[in-house]
Amino acid sequence: MDNYINNLFFTYLPHIAMTLFWFGVITRIVKTSKSLQAESSQFLSKKGQRWGGNLFHYGIILVFIGHFTGLFTPEHFYHLFMTTATKRILAVIMGSVFGTAAVVGITILLVRRLKDQRIKINSTPADILLIVLLLFEMGLGLASIFISAGSSVENYAALGVWAQKVITFQPDAGAVIISHSIIYKLHIVTGLFIFMIFPYTKLMHMFVLPVAYFFRSGYQMVRRGFTKRPV
Amino acid sequence: MKIQAQVAMVLNLDKCIGCHTCSVTCKNVWTTRKGLEYAWFNNVETKPGQGYPTDWENQEKWKGGWVLDKSKLRPRMGNKAGIMKNIFSNPFLPQIDDYYEPFTFNYSILHSSAKFATPPSARPHSMITGLLMEKIEKGPNWEDNMGGPFEERSKEKNFEDIDKEIYSKFENAFMMYLPRLCEHCLNPSCVAACPSGAIYKREDDGIVLIDQDRCRGWRQCVSACPYKKIYFNWKTKRSEKCTLCYPKIENGEPTICSETCVGRIRYIGVMLYDAEKIKESASSDSPLDLYQAHLDIFLDPNSPEVIAEARKQGIPDNFIQAAQKSPVYKMAVEWKVAFPLHPEYRTLPMVWYTPPLSPIQEEIESGKLGFNGIIPDVDMLRIPVKYLANMFTAGDEKPVREALVKMLAMRAFMRGKTVENIEDERILSGTGLTPAMVEEMYRYMAIADYEDRFVIPVSHKEYAFDAFGDKAECGFSDGEGCGSMQNRLKNLFGGM
Repeated sequence: MDNYINNLFFTYLPHIAMTLFWFGVITRIVKTSKSLQAESSQFLSKKGQRWGGNLFHYGIILVFIGHFTGLFTPEHFYHLFMTTATKRILAVIMGSVFGTAAVVGITILLVRRLKDQRIKINSTPADILLIVLLLFEMGLGLASIFISAGSSVENYAALGVWAQKVITFQPDAGAVIISHSIIYKLHIVTGLFIFMIFPYTKLMHMFVLPVAYFFRSGYQMVRRGFTKRPV
Repeated sequence: MKIQAQVAMVLNLDKCIGCHTCSVTCKNVWTTRKGLEYAWFNNVETKPGQGYPTDWENQEKWKGGWVLDKSKLRPRMGNKAGIMKNIFSNPFLPQIDDYYEPFTFNYSILHSSAKFATPPSARPHSMITGLLMEKIEKGPNWEDNMGGPFEERSKEKNFEDIDKEIYSKFENAFMMYLPRLCEHCLNPSCVAACPSGAIYKREDDGIVLIDQDRCRGWRQCVSACPYKKIYFNWKTKRSEKCTLCYPKIENGEPTICSETCVGRIRYIGVMLYDAEKIKESASSDSPLDLYQAHLDIFLDPNSPEVIAEARKQGIPDNFIQAAQKSPVYKMAVEWKVAFPLHPEYRTLPMVWYTPPLSPIQEEIESGKLGFNGIIPDVDMLRIPVKYLANMFTAGDEKPVREALVKMLAMRAFMRGKTVENIEDERILSGTGLTPAMVEEMYRYMAIADYEDRFVIPVSHKEYAFDAFGDKAECGFSDGEGCGSMQNRLKNLFGGM
C-alpha cells in the first residue's frame, strides 16, 4: 500500500475518528441526554428477539472487552503470564466463539427486521443500515481470525504494537501494519467509521446502560414533595 | 413512625354497570396518541374472564409483583442481577397481541370511492402497520358481558380451588364488572424493577409516575407490574402509565375516570400510613395475612397522637383534615367493606374494591332463610364467595363474607326504614353494625354525594417545583413533545 495512504488511514485517521467520537458523545450527552434510550422493538414482535438480542449483545460485549484488553495490554506486561503465541491462541478461540455468537445474533436481528411486517414498517433506514454496517464489520472481524491464526506470531503481535503506538501518538504507528492483509485494514477503517458516526446513531444507548441500578440502595424510589426541591 | 399521605381510591363494584365511561374519558384525555392506541390506562373487564391483557393475573407467566425468597422480599422477575441479565431481551414481556392490535376503519372510502358493486363497507386497518386486517381477532374489551365461550373465559386465576364446571351451566352463570387502573401501590414492583430509576412514588400524595426524561425503554416495568398497568409506547419506545390525573388531584379535583363515573362508584380520599411498616407488611409469611397486614399500615387520622406526629413530620393540615373525612378510610378501615385487588402480589395496592352483591338464587324463593333468619345468606348469591375471595383477599373468605353481610343488612335495614318506616334492629344482629353506622354507610355507598365521594386536598404550591425557569420551553407535552422523535430529530445531535 502507498505509504501516504497508509499513514493517512492508520496513523492519522484513528486520532481524527476518536476526536469526532468524543466530541459527538460529549455534546450529545450534554445537549440531548434525554434522547438516549434503548430502542426496543420487542413489544411489537418477540420472534427471534430472544436469541438474536441476547446472542448479539452478550457476544459483542465480550468481543469488545477482548479487543480492548488484547490491543492495549503492553507486551512486557502480558509476557509475565503468557507468551505471544499463547495470547494468540486465546484471542483466536475467544474471538471465534463470541464473534460467531454476535454475528449469528445480529443476523437473526436483521432477518427479523426485514421479514416481520410490523418491525419493517416501523423501522427507519438508519435502523437497517446500522445493522448492515455492524454485520459487515463483524464479518471482516471473523475473516481476520483465519489470517491471525494462519500467519506468523509477529504479524499478530504487530496489531497490538500498532494500537499502542496510536494511543501514544507515535508518528510511525501506521508503518507497523503497512504490509498487513487488506482484511485487517478494512476492519480497522470500518471500525473507525463506526466510531465517527457513533454519537449520531442509536448505538449511544450503551452510554445509558443502567449500571447504577446495582448501587441503588434497596428497590424503591421516593421523590420528596413537601420540601422545596433545588432548581 | 414515618407518616406519609396517599391519595387512594375505592370502587364500589356493587354499583358498577360496566358502561366504560371511565375508560373512554381516560382514553380521550391521556392515550389518543400514536404508540398508545392499544393502551387503556383505565379499562373495565367482565369477570370471569381472562381480561386485558389476556391472562394478566397469571403471574407464573408474567412474573409480576413480589415473592418471598428465603423470607426476604424480591421482585418475582428476579433480583437486580436477574433483571439486568434480561435487559437485552425480556422473556416476560407481553406482546402487543396480548393486548390487541389496534385498528381503525377506512371510512373515507365510503364517500370518496366510485360506485360500489357490493354494499359498501369500511374495512379494518392496523394502526401499527397501516395494512388491511382480514379479521379483528381481539379488542380492548373482548369478553364484554360474557362474550366468548366459558371454556376460554374461565381460564383465569380466580377460579382456583373452585369446581368451575357448574358455573358453565346457563342457570348458574354469573358475572361482574371490574374497572382497573394503576393501583399506585405502597410497595410498587415497577419502581423496583426500573433499572434507570425513572419510576418513582411521590412522597406528598403517593402517586406513582414515570419520568419520561429518564425512561430509557428497558421495558422491565411492564412485566414487573402484576396488574399489567404499565404500557409500552411502541412509537416513542418508552413506558407510560396512569398518572392518577395528578394535575387534577393537585388542584383538589377527582380524576377524570372518577369525575365522569355515571354510577358514582368511585371514591377518592387521603390515607395516612406508616411508611416504616411497608416492608414488614409486604413480607408477611402467608398470603392470607397480607390483607390484615395492609390494614395495619394505615393510621387513624382522628387519633391525637397521629395528628401531632403528622404535624411534626410536616404533613400539611389540609391533608390531615382530608384524611379525617376520607371516604376510603371509612370503607376500608372502619366498615371493612373494601378490599385490595390481589393482595398476594405483595405490592400493597391502593385502589380498593367493595365486592358486588349479586342476584339471589332460587333457594330464597323456596322459603329458605339465611343469615340471622332475616337477610339471605351470602352463599345464596350468584357470584361464589370463594371467587371474590380469590380476587380480593388471597382466598380468605371470612372478610369478604362479612362485608357482603354488611351490605345485605344495610339494604334490608334501609328498605324497612324508608319503605315501611320500621327500624328493625334485628336485621343488624350478628353483622357488627349499629343503626348509626348503617345510616352513614347508606349516605356514602347508596346516596354517594359528590362531596362525600371526593375529599381531595389541594396540593401546596409553595412547596412545589418552581416552574418559572422552564417557561417558554416544553410546556405541557403529554409525555411527547420535547421527548418525541420528531422533536429529537430537530436537535443538533438527535440521532442518525
